[in-house]
Amino acid sequence: MRDGHVNWLCRLVAVLVMLFLVAPLVVIVLASFTPTALVTFPPQGFSLKWYANIFTSSTHFMDGLVKSLEIGILATLLDVLLGVTAALSICRYDFRGKNALLNYFTSPMYVPSVAFAFVLLQLYSQLGGVPGMLRIFIGHFIIILPYVVRNTVSVLHVFNWTLEDAATSLGANPVQVFFKITIPLAKPGILAGALLAFLYSFDEVALSSLLSTPRFITLPIRIMNYMELTFDPTLAAISTLLMVASLVLIILMERLVGLDMFMK
Amino acid sequence: MERKKQALLLALPASLALLLFFIFPMIYILIRTLAENGTADFTAFFTDPFYLDILWTTLRVSLISTAVSLLLGYPTAYYMARTPSRLKQAMVIVILFPFLVSAVVRSYGWMVILGTNGLLNQFLMGLGLISEPLKILNTETAVIIGMIHLLIPYMILSLVGVLQSIDPNVEYAAYSLGASPMTTFTRVIFPLSTPGIISGCVLVFTMSMTSYVTPKLLGGSKFRMMATMVVQEINVSFDWGAAAAISYILLAVILAVQVVVVLTTGKYMKRMGGGKNA
Repeated sequence: MRDGHVNWLCRLVAVLVMLFLVAPLVVIVLASFTPTALVTFPPQGFSLKWYANIFTSSTHFMDGLVKSLEIGILATLLDVLLGVTAALSICRYDFRGKNALLNYFTSPMYVPSVAFAFVLLQLYSQLGGVPGMLRIFIGHFIIILPYVVRNTVSVLHVFNWTLEDAATSLGANPVQVFFKITIPLAKPGILAGALLAFLYSFDEVALSSLLSTPRFITLPIRIMNYMELTFDPTLAAISTLLMVASLVLIILMERLVGLDMFMK
Repeated sequence: MERKKQALLLALPASLALLLFFIFPMIYILIRTLAENGTADFTAFFTDPFYLDILWTTLRVSLISTAVSLLLGYPTAYYMARTPSRLKQAMVIVILFPFLVSAVVRSYGWMVILGTNGLLNQFLMGLGLISEPLKILNTETAVIIGMIHLLIPYMILSLVGVLQSIDPNVEYAAYSLGASPMTTFTRVIFPLSTPGIISGCVLVFTMSMTSYVTPKLLGGSKFRMMATMVVQEINVSFDWGAAAAISYILLAVILAVQVVVVLTTGKYMKRMGGGKNA
């Protein structure tokens, strides 16, 4: 098509960048199947023992996974409630200070998570007795709220509000309008926001590492702790599984809302 | 009036949550730090060469990562913007996929490649190009490589959107008027793409300024950036005053970048990512 005008230099750089992006991920997958503790290339055989090690290792990866899922799902659910109502308040009504309010809702994005983690840590140490899960949960649900708000706003921004009036004039009550018209139409934004928010929480390290207690440790922190003691392909195995999970999610999102949602 | 009340009611839950768990703690701890030690912790930061060196390292790593991301990201984004949609979609997936993989996992991949016994050293020694393994892991170079890997997708995505919106006919017009490809780039494409360049650079810069995982895993224990230093002050030195100073100075730097952007472009950055996992 217009390919002719893109010169060879751009193409070369693009290819190299793609290789650069993919290289460490390919290495991880290959490393997860090597039988030796030192990763060599080409691999000297094939083994699944590192995958088995995930479940038998004294680092309780599965416990970490459960805790990460708990925090991620709960924080995302709460933020969908908070974020969608917040986005509706901004987009549905016209008032002065709308933009200021949007900036307020997305303000956690401007704050380095490590600074927020420090602040929470100090606050907890003054309050005393804040349980492990709540310590991390508060940090996560604040820091991921902007993702839900922003993605929902990006859909509601171009929303045709007369559809709500049309439904009302056809006899729908406000609750029906909300659940049958507004929410279904805003769904792509809400889903994209929820996915990004969940992934953020699931991968979060700075907050979790400062706020975790010995009894409540999330998966990324368990992986990092393991890394400091042993550097073997168990890490590659668990990384591969996490990548497969990401791949499933991205395909799911492609089907549900299309990837264009993420390019805004 | 009724509608305004509804709007307020809808805005209330999120507003209260942010106020209680975010704005209030951020201000309260700042006031407390100042009330306890005055500005001593902050002046200590700006007078101690040790801390100034950390700030400088953080700025240097962030600037280099931003510059390289732009330099490599721009041609890639341009290629994507002008390429048939099938190939483009494949490229979008390649770019979005590592974007969904955590920084811990990605840093691990680089550790396997860059380590002393890593794949790169095995490869180079196998070829006989070097006799001693190169020391890349646990250096600033490794941190910059990891950072670019982490952040270049944000740069590319910021640029693709803008470059796509430039009508190719504008380029053809420049060519037909006798402009060379170089002139077309410097006089037409580049100026039209500045919004994307600014947003991409601000995004990558702020994210690398605040990054924690990459410097911690790829830089080793002796390599320090602002975010890793906060954690070290708390967990190793037990110096909470210093941790407070570094935290709020880092925050101030990020907000200053935002203010400069608003003042020069008149726009808020849609995406800031001050806290994104990096």
